[in-house]
Amino acid sequence: MTDAPERITLEEWDVQYEKLRRAGMRQPQYGGPLSRHVEDGDHRLRKLRYDNSAAALRLWNFLLTEEDRLREARSAGKKIVGTMKDLGTVPVMAYCFDNVAAFYPDGAWWIPCVMELSDGLLEVADSLGIDESFCPVRAMLGAFVTGAHFPIPDMLICSVGATCDDLSAIAQRLNGLGHPIFWWEMPHRRCPEQDEPAVILPGGIAAPKCQVEFVKSELERVKAALEELAGERLDEEKLSAGISQANRVRQYLAELRYLAFTAEPCPIPALEMLIAEMLAIHFCSDRRETIAVLGELLEEVRGRVNAGLGVLDADAARIFWVNPVADLQVMNLLEDCGGRVCGTEYLFTHALDMIPQDVPPLEALARCALADPMAGSSIDRAERICADVRRFGAEAVLISRIPGASHCALEGQVISEIVAETLDVPVLEIEVPPVTDSMSPTLRTRIEALVETVRARRRATQGIRSDR
Amino acid sequence: MKTIIYTCPYVPAEWIAAHGLHAGRVLLDSVDPGFSAARAEGVCPYVRSFIGEVINNRGADGAVVTTVCDQMRRAFDIIVRNCDLPAFLMNVPSTWQTLAAQKLYVDELKRLGGFLIGLGGKAPSKDTLAETMLAYDDARTSIRSAREHLSAKQFAEAIAAGGSLKGEAFGDGSSDSGHPQAALQAATLRVPLAIVGGPLMKPDFDLLDMIEHLGGRVVLDATETGERGMCPKFDRRRLREDPLLELADAYFAGIPDASRRPNSELYRWLKRELAGRAVRGIIFRRYVWCDLWHAELGRLKEWCNLPVLDIDSAGDNETDRPRISNRIRAFMEMLQ
Repeated sequence: MTDAPERITLEEWDVQYEKLRRAGMRQPQYGGPLSRHVEDGDHRLRKLRYDNSAAALRLWNFLLTEEDRLREARSAGKKIVGTMKDLGTVPVMAYCFDNVAAFYPDGAWWIPCVMELSDGLLEVADSLGIDESFCPVRAMLGAFVTGAHFPIPDMLICSVGATCDDLSAIAQRLNGLGHPIFWWEMPHRRCPEQDEPAVILPGGIAAPKCQVEFVKSELERVKAALEELAGERLDEEKLSAGISQANRVRQYLAELRYLAFTAEPCPIPALEMLIAEMLAIHFCSDRRETIAVLGELLEEVRGRVNAGLGVLDADAARIFWVNPVADLQVMNLLEDCGGRVCGTEYLFTHALDMIPQDVPPLEALARCALADPMAGSSIDRAERICADVRRFGAEAVLISRIPGASHCALEGQVISEIVAETLDVPVLEIEVPPVTDSMSPTLRTRIEALVETVRARRRATQGIRSDR
Repeated sequence: MKTIIYTCPYVPAEWIAAHGLHAGRVLLDSVDPGFSAARAEGVCPYVRSFIGEVINNRGADGAVVTTVCDQMRRAFDIIVRNCDLPAFLMNVPSTWQTLAAQKLYVDELKRLGGFLIGLGGKAPSKDTLAETMLAYDDARTSIRSAREHLSAKQFAEAIAAGGSLKGEAFGDGSSDSGHPQAALQAATLRVPLAIVGGPLMKPDFDLLDMIEHLGGRVVLDATETGERGMCPKFDRRRLREDPLLELADAYFAGIPDASRRPNSELYRWLKRELAGRAVRGIIFRRYVWCDLWHAELGRLKEWCNLPVLDIDSAGDNETDRPRISNRIRAFMEMLQ
């Protein structure tokens, strides 16, 4: 544990950085002061508040140097694979090859936020007919056209079928611009019918065995394509070893999430947890380093929990967060309003659940892929959210709507209704665009209202108890 | 006879009819007749209308929804939570080039069969299915051959009725119901246009008349509810050998759509049809919040050498009509 935990500004991080450096902080090759990234155009960093630990610094530096890592990988002769939409499955396979680095071009959806729209990616998307009626993932299209944010991959792999229309449509547009795409099918996950052989997926949902087999056959195709690209065969042993490594990431995250969402006081801010969770999707282009980064963060959090230290007031309202935010600052805003994140469902629970290791590896990956919350019904998703709300003891649910996203408009309604029917907790839905500055007062008011509601309900509960 | 309602062209009417049920492909009427989504923003007007139609439909005995678009897939969740009408979600794969995707479609047809039997339908014999398919095939042939004798609106209405045909032939198109000869001759002087996009709703058919009134002539209805959404002619030999496989092949491989991945077949089909009918301009009709078609607009403009007019609709016909009329008028002035 490095210091008394607190949330600090970027300027304060410069001071903290010097202090840690003088104290002998060991840094990886990509280390350095956070503020240097502002010079690269990451202007949003100036407005965020960060955890003050060396572990958090390493996490941020790891995240913000991914483009450099990808370019280094290319220079070193590695094949770059852009995996789109499946959020957590294909990269497990890709990182089993010695000469492949995989990343999610979809991740470009945060570039307009981090660069405060100075990147021009959304304007490029506009010019290609992909306007603001699409979700912010349209920034990906701009990133491909400008070529300024990641190397153009040697291969693009995209899951389609039971996915969002935004990414599917944008990927097809990309394909039309001359980028070949390897499409693979993700069927809509359904409940097994009576007497139909079923499999329990990671996360506890049942699916028909035939659907698992179908996804497995699709992943066989993906594997063959990767083998051809890499010029290397991927046998079961190698794939199993890759799954073990992915599970180490997931194991660290499981403990991190449990401590972050349940310990009193909250040991780590929501923003760092969001970034940590994201690493599970594709290891930020370096699986080994992801394990090291998360390991250090976990050590920090364990130390804080054991010492009873945290970054927020002990009475912070316990909020379960649904969907990732396009503007990272909103995670700070929740805490500024007196809340803390106690549970998340950022649309990739299947990248957090442990991959089964007691079945053949490709079947294990198929089970994980099919557990994708987006592949199933909104009802399944809502039920998982309810279970996790109970598990982490959240007092309210905040659904962060992604502007333009095809799934959000109807799904938010289903989730709200089911949460309200199942649990006696308030639900709030907000919409978060890539940069929220102009609507910050409105968002603040709405989140404050949710926090006040939680506190009022606590008072009412305590009043009932004292009356007894 | 029990009625099964649906809108998606990948649901074969023949399959429902062969089970002894009435296949009612719904031509949606207007947006939001009964569905009171608290947050309608972001929801495609067609999907809103479909949800309202299913929830309020008193004559249907079952509904089939497909996964062709994400919002329809989500609409299924709303439907099962808000009404008692038995509903079936059919997984139509987006990819189409692999045997596995084709087999998945066949398996889904079989699963749909189970749903239909659960509603009182009867599993069809090979011969029953084949006879039903032939009847529908003949009806579609009649409709296609009538195209040149009908106004675009009449043709669209004939296609819409085709899905509910129960097998009777439409006629050869030379009947009195078509355009009078003089009107047909006048029509040939108008600018030949294509209308491209997703499904139209019933009030949208007036758009076809509006185009004619403003000097155009829709010679290619490439909307989902138009010719593009019609299953191609069956291979009669294969139909006799294995009717279910032929049915699946004709529907799954034969209907080009923006949702397919890749959707190259849509452009191949458009290239052939646009050239074959000497189209001089394209009216691109899409719903606000329909990502799948909206994303094709830019590509279509780059791909074809024809002028393309974008007509978006939020489903509010009163507001849309004057705006659309003005835009089409300007488009026609440019083309004439």
